[in-house]
Amino acid sequence: MTISMNDLAAQQKADKRNRIKRIIAIVLGLGAVAMFFLPNITFVFRNTTYVTSGMDLAFAQGFWVEGKELSGLVAIPVLTRIAVIASVVLALAGAALLFFKKATLAGIAYVISGVCPLVMLISMTSVQTAVTQLNISNISVGYMLPFVYILASGLVCAVLSLWTQGGEKLAQSIFLVASCVSIGAVLMITIYIIAAGAPAIGEIGIFSFLFGVNWDAKSNEFGILALILSSIAGTFGAIVIGVPIGILTAVFLSEIASPKVARLIRPAIELLAGIPSVIYGFFGMLIIVPAIRAVFPGATIGDSLLAAIIILAIMIIPTIVNVTENSLRAVPQSYREASLGLGATATHTIFKITIPAAKSGILSGVILGVGRAIGETMAVIMVAGNVANMPSLLGTVRFLTTGIAMEMSYASGLHRQALFAIGFVLFVFIMIVNISFTIISKRGAKMNAK
Amino acid sequence: MPSNPSAAKYLDGQLQEHSLYRKKKRASDGVLKACIFVATGLTIAVLLGIILYILVRGIPHLSWSFIANPYSETNPDRKGILPMIINTLYIVGITLLISAPIGICSAIYLTQYAKQGRLVRAIRFTTEVLSGIPSILFGLFGYTVFCTLFRLQTSILAGCLTMTLCVLPTIIRTTEESLLSVPSSYKEGAMALGAGKFRVIMGIVLPCAMPGVLTAVILAMGRIVGESAALLFTSGVSYNMPSGPFSHIMESGRTLTLHLYQTAREASSEDAMNIAFATATVLLIVIFILNRLASLLSKVLKKG
Repeated sequence: MTISMNDLAAQQKADKRNRIKRIIAIVLGLGAVAMFFLPNITFVFRNTTYVTSGMDLAFAQGFWVEGKELSGLVAIPVLTRIAVIASVVLALAGAALLFFKKATLAGIAYVISGVCPLVMLISMTSVQTAVTQLNISNISVGYMLPFVYILASGLVCAVLSLWTQGGEKLAQSIFLVASCVSIGAVLMITIYIIAAGAPAIGEIGIFSFLFGVNWDAKSNEFGILALILSSIAGTFGAIVIGVPIGILTAVFLSEIASPKVARLIRPAIELLAGIPSVIYGFFGMLIIVPAIRAVFPGATIGDSLLAAIIILAIMIIPTIVNVTENSLRAVPQSYREASLGLGATATHTIFKITIPAAKSGILSGVILGVGRAIGETMAVIMVAGNVANMPSLLGTVRFLTTGIAMEMSYASGLHRQALFAIGFVLFVFIMIVNISFTIISKRGAKMNAK
Repeated sequence: MPSNPSAAKYLDGQLQEHSLYRKKKRASDGVLKACIFVATGLTIAVLLGIILYILVRGIPHLSWSFIANPYSETNPDRKGILPMIINTLYIVGITLLISAPIGICSAIYLTQYAKQGRLVRAIRFTTEVLSGIPSILFGLFGYTVFCTLFRLQTSILAGCLTMTLCVLPTIIRTTEESLLSVPSSYKEGAMALGAGKFRVIMGIVLPCAMPGVLTAVILAMGRIVGESAALLFTSGVSYNMPSGPFSHIMESGRTLTLHLYQTAREASSEDAMNIAFATATVLLIVIFILNRLASLLSKVLKKG
């Protein structure tokens, strides 16, 4: 009897707490709605401050801007208007849903309502562009604080309304949302890289972009064949040098070295993986480039594809050693014993039994190395000379990555778009590498399962 | 034992010729073995070469005034790296503040809540994709989205948001591994005592996996300290001292790596090169400390 009384009391207590949460969420949500009616968006324009409220953005016709030569009405984008109205409506809807105890729906409504100002922020960029086109540059807009408030209150409201369903449910929702961040990030990156790169490819023409030999920003010639081939040549060279060394080092660590020696070398290789690429580039710039110049006197200035290949080979060795060693260690001991028992020598066993058994792991290590080499920027920029020539071992070259990094700071117009298009091509390369990595490591997992 | 000495001799010869213990020698074995040793030696020589070269040329130029002075391109008395150290600390701190909670929560969801399904596959695939994207593409993306679209300009904050995407996979994967290594009997015990799932995660699973979570954070720190291409356009290359502790978040600032890059590229004199060497030395020391910390922690985790 007493137990059920306690249960009842606990239930009442929980109800009371939920009611408080609900009320706070509703009040906060209404506060966010109120932000739209308060004049808190400031435009500072030629030392005059104009103040508008968020609602004005939804219903005003536009900004009347008077410039030196041109003046005109800058229209507010439709997306901005939709975002304002959606944010207000959703915040109100959240309050109503919460009132009728539909907590999950209310939470979703609040989150979207909080994110809507971000859409406003993004779509308002076109206003800025339009104003700039009127030859007015000294305009600044201040709306960070109200936006941050709306975003924060949207999130807090969502948390509160989900909380009314119990802590467990809230925790699970938060964990779920956090784990969806990486999906959102990849989607956004893919969309933006494509959206930013596609127009230039369309304008230049896909054929003359991918297979054009000349890259000359001044005369609007944007052909990246030299960049693509240099990137491929550099990566290929690095693989040819780096993979054998990496695999043999891994063999040493897992098959030959005593545990003591391996314990000494392994951290060193981990350190090699952690050294920033700028330091590799710096080293290459000061040691490898002059060395190449000294070995081939007169034939090269030192900054060359060869220098890039050597630096990239050094940089991929740790990746390959690491992955290869792991997969060599995963080979069952009985394989080695069987081979030794049949009379094969230790070295013969390594090359005929252990390495073939670890094949798929080694291959995925190689692919990781390819990914690292093709995406490397800073080390290459410091040793490759960065002239967009067709690849030759001793000539200066420009990779896809360095092409972006070299000119991004000052490019504009089609030139800038072309750089984004290079990013798009690079992205496609990386996705191919990534997907083949996934397929191969899956196949490896299947083989191990057998 | 045969008593006849000649018979013994014969048997001995037989043993030597046909013994199981005597393996056939292969000519290629020696060559292959030599290759293994040469490759390992080469790897170690390169590593030692890089580190020693930088340290030998850099350490003589390290001094307190180098670390504690602001930087100026023109004034020869102001050649310190204090602003770069501050910028690096800002970027590391803010990035971890954003990415560590997201990454850890994500790892918790993947290991403790998720059932195998389309969503989990999507999360794993995208995490993998994210870890494979080169940093220059992150830089390009951060520049278009955070700097231009969100109007953050080239600022520390834009750099931090970009770096968040870069380090997220590292944090998720490392945390996930350490969460999976917690014995399920711990969880079951706590559940049997009546604790809710959230309680079990916060009270049992996460504390047990703490060294692993810290390893994840330290690995992320190492990645941020070493990053350059993603920050070149997003946090910029300004070397001014911060104007204020909070306003600095919206200012541009170069990290140590970018400082090394800029000084090394623009170096025209011996002095400028020395600055680059000293900066590289500082970077190497930081990376080395982080590296040691990470392996120390993973040892703690293995011991349990």
